[in-house]
Amino acid sequence: MIKKFSSPLPALAAIACVPALVWIIASDAGAQGSPDGKSLYAIRCAACHDTGLLGAPKPGAAGDWAARLPRGRDVLLEHAIKGFNKMPPRGGNPSLTDGDVAAALDYMLSRVEPRKAPATPAEPAASEKKAPVPAPVVKKVRSASATHRGVNAFNRLMKPPSKRNLPPTQDGIHDPGSEGTQALQAPRDSFETLPKANFGNRVDWVAALNNGDIAPRYDRMDPDAKPIIMDLNIVREVKGSMPDVVYPHKQHTEWLDCSNCHPAIFLPQKGANPMSMAGILLGKQCGVCHGKVAFPVSDCRRCHSAKKEPAN
Amino acid sequence: MVKRSGRAAGIALMVLAVGASIAGLTTSRQVHGEYGDVVINNYSDEAGMRPVVFPHWFHRIRFRCKVCHADLGFKFEAGGNDINMLKIIDGAYCGACHNGDIAWSVENCDLCHSAKPRTPTQVHDSTIQKLVAPGKSK
Repeated sequence: MIKKFSSPLPALAAIACVPALVWIIASDAGAQGSPDGKSLYAIRCAACHDTGLLGAPKPGAAGDWAARLPRGRDVLLEHAIKGFNKMPPRGGNPSLTDGDVAAALDYMLSRVEPRKAPATPAEPAASEKKAPVPAPVVKKVRSASATHRGVNAFNRLMKPPSKRNLPPTQDGIHDPGSEGTQALQAPRDSFETLPKANFGNRVDWVAALNNGDIAPRYDRMDPDAKPIIMDLNIVREVKGSMPDVVYPHKQHTEWLDCSNCHPAIFLPQKGANPMSMAGILLGKQCGVCHGKVAFPVSDCRRCHSAKKEPAN
Repeated sequence: MVKRSGRAAGIALMVLAVGASIAGLTTSRQVHGEYGDVVINNYSDEAGMRPVVFPHWFHRIRFRCKVCHADLGFKFEAGGNDINMLKIIDGAYCGACHNGDIAWSVENCDLCHSAKPRTPTQVHDSTIQKLVAPGKSK
């Protein structure tokens, strides 16, 4: 190693220069291909832009960009923010900031441009390798969107309104690249006319059934089959100052059959079913459904609803 | 020189590990599935299919819980029913309705097998998933 250089100084100087050069390039490349832009693209844009839905330009297809690139980044950004032809404003997500849209656009451009506009021959390789070096521009984008993500989010377990009832292409579980996902109905389309609740699906299913907003079948084949309803309230006295629990058989037998709960989950006998909130939170007893599909137990007063008699 | 490169490799590995863990965190944060969506991945990944997403909300608009959970014998446990395509084509489980008669039939593979590959079996957005064992609740 040392033999190749007559003196170690030139080598040291070269080593010292590389990071400086790389930093300058990276600050540019970082803005274009920053992880933020990439992840935003994956959640918000990929559903249409990966598949070319409604003529959306695909990042990997240089042909899609031939007519668009000459307009320049500023025009493309304006179209992405304000909408253009079939591109809805901010890709249909009003919660995205200008910075978010710019980051996603820059990420898309970074996937198109290398082929079209190679810079000086030596530089691209260096910039590709060192791209993850944090650049000032990236930080700026992060702070702009910190209002709805990251450490400043109000509560990590609470979903902001913009994240509720998302369509399958955006919900993070469904694969936006699948044709089936594109065909699936969005929850919001069905929920609009249903009574609202503060938890779960944000739908009050019991009220929806009572009002006749929905008419779910009680029998697989027979649309006219009527449920066998048992109108019996069970009051469970609870410890401490929490109001006692009133368990209504009526609302449960509207949806369920006796055999769903008895005897596997609850022995049909008073006092035979010791339970605790810890167990319920872990999926026992009421937690078999409540906290998974029926309203979650964070809605305390829907069960703890009977005010205690004042002690004499 | 050797020591230095060893140390450099160590640092590079640490950076990679931290990067990977951050990537993992952001991925979990990006999931906003509908309450009660069940991902079933008993056999899908192995078979090279996308895992299944079962949307409770869509089905409870059309059927009461009892139809599937009492009449058709679905247990109240994500992944606990050992469902496979043979049983479905035979008319059991999903096949009781998804037969082209009550609901669309099984040749629409993509409509059910629509989850991102390698999504674990879980009830999405459930209390257990959020508070106790993220990604492992049933």
